[in-house]
Amino acid sequence: MATKKIGKKEIAKLLGMWNQRLNVFVPFKEENIAKMVRWDGIDVSFLDWYRNTVIPCKANFLPSMERMFSFKKNEDGYHIEIPQDEQKQLIFGIRPCDARGIAMVDKVFTETCEDPYYVSKRKNTVLIGLSCTNPYDSCFCTSLGLKPTESADVDLMFTDIGDEFLIEEITDKGEELLAATSLVKQATKADGAKAKSEKAALSDMVIKKVDTKEIAKKLQACFSDKDYWEKVAAKCISCGVCTFLCPTCFCFDICDELIKKQGARYRGWDSCSFRLYTKMPMENPREEKWRRVRQRVCHKYEFYPMNFDITACTGCGRCIRLCPVNWDISQVLSSLPASATSRSEK
Amino acid sequence: MEQELRKEARKLLDEGKADHIVGFARGSLKFTATPLITREKEEVASLVINPFIVNNLAKFLTEVPGRVGIVAKGCDSRSVVSLIQDNQVSRDDVVIIGVPCSGLIDIAKVEQLVNKDRDEIDDIALQGEKVAVIIGGQKTELPTKEVLFEHCLGCESPTPQEYDILVGIPTNAIGDKELSLRRIKQLEDMVPEQRWAFWKKQLSRCIRCYACRQVCPACFCERCFVEESQPQWISPVSQWQDNLMFQVIRNIHVAGRCTDCGECERVCPQNIPLRSLSKKMSELVDEMFHYQAGIDKDAPALMTAYEPVEAEDLIM
Repeated sequence: MATKKIGKKEIAKLLGMWNQRLNVFVPFKEENIAKMVRWDGIDVSFLDWYRNTVIPCKANFLPSMERMFSFKKNEDGYHIEIPQDEQKQLIFGIRPCDARGIAMVDKVFTETCEDPYYVSKRKNTVLIGLSCTNPYDSCFCTSLGLKPTESADVDLMFTDIGDEFLIEEITDKGEELLAATSLVKQATKADGAKAKSEKAALSDMVIKKVDTKEIAKKLQACFSDKDYWEKVAAKCISCGVCTFLCPTCFCFDICDELIKKQGARYRGWDSCSFRLYTKMPMENPREEKWRRVRQRVCHKYEFYPMNFDITACTGCGRCIRLCPVNWDISQVLSSLPASATSRSEK
Repeated sequence: MEQELRKEARKLLDEGKADHIVGFARGSLKFTATPLITREKEEVASLVINPFIVNNLAKFLTEVPGRVGIVAKGCDSRSVVSLIQDNQVSRDDVVIIGVPCSGLIDIAKVEQLVNKDRDEIDDIALQGEKVAVIIGGQKTELPTKEVLFEHCLGCESPTPQEYDILVGIPTNAIGDKELSLRRIKQLEDMVPEQRWAFWKKQLSRCIRCYACRQVCPACFCERCFVEESQPQWISPVSQWQDNLMFQVIRNIHVAGRCTDCGECERVCPQNIPLRSLSKKMSELVDEMFHYQAGIDKDAPALMTAYEPVEAEDLIM
């Protein structure tokens, strides 16, 4: 597909055009916390400050809480009302790591089973990627086969080439978005060359490197090394920060709320870091903290690849940046013992 | 001071006076520290003391086995005392290595003032009344009062009052009571409707990650009321009303235990100003019961004692 470009000053106009028929979402800071929110129709200042959101874009498809349906009972019997969410939306500025995160979550909610809530939002959304220009010191996407300019998981990809953005049309959906506008121009060969050198330079800006080669095998080997896992788990406080803010974590819990004869069923994020996550009537297989920490690491780098042939980590670095105790997954991945040498426990 | 700390910690392990050392090591990112929980003698060489040792390590006392040598700033030591009062920890099982604290730097405040993110800053140095920040070779000086955590500005005992070993010399941190209570004052000045709207807005952002609860040394319940399902006190769904109830009940539960370490607010990934609730609660506790948390290990815990002279308007 063609490669186009647009002047940075024209972005507000472009968003304005899309906003007429789609709900446009852009990065926005509330109380210094950035997330993707409905665009106000004016503000494009995020182009200056935006590095990545705190709340990953998965929240736009799997919100921290969501009403699944409402119910009530009257003389005629039970009545169920399912909210219809068919709004077409466009998310502008998603980073490649978060777009990959959505591609991973897709596997669970579209391939394994069709989750109507997720699928309806997903199919009604176009994703416009924005290459990173200033990765954090905690970012390590290049260690996971990604790069700050990766365009595989979006519909259109924007890359900063100075006063303009180079636009790659990745999907038909993306191409259609640009079909009827004079705001974008055909990119020249020189623009393409510029983008190519920018892209190479940007990959070098991701300084954190983690050796992820054969990581699943290494995890398998040390799975029952209780001493190791106890040691690395010691400072974890079992909160939900790393999982809730992970672009690939998708666990949820379901609960009903009932007041008199009516109520609703909700679902909200859940976390394998929580002790009660695996609590069952008779036992809890992950009562101890080290088992929960191990589960999180193994799920991402061993079990998920087993099921879907892809590692459930995009190297976005949120879990490192935002962890209350600086529990750094990259250090754990680099320090895995070769085998279970000491006390062995499954 | 660090050398002295490492020497003392090593000695505790060598002499068998402690089975584990709980302290701080350098974090993996710039201007961060991380809890170090170890029984390896060699590892105590990585213990650090700097203005970024933000965690309240008392949190780990209830889970680390055996006798624990704990590095404690003023607030940490108050939390240790509070845990002793509540019979969560035995005084004989802890060796408190007191570390006089000069106040901790709130990196978020520095970021705001210099309009750069943590990783874009080259150096931050606490130098008495000033904090020197270096970005791209350029030095900027910020008033220390503007970059310390608010709870540090209000800290009355930055040097631990309860300790077995004191490393370094007692300090007086740069305090500013007024500044430390500024946001609480702003809330007090609001009419109830404004205050209600304020908290509604703030707590709408809560995602129930429970970092505030998990990081809190005073939250030592085996099972939190939030997780009770029969009866269900509050919904596990992150609606603002339930989020508000969670915080209100949590704060009442830690009344008389909260030592104003500020951790709940620091760790909140949604920047909810939780200290405005917990500090207000501590102020009320002081006003009504003349009680400050974590001061006297031999005194009964607030909620376990009753004096006839106490305010009666608490009982409805």
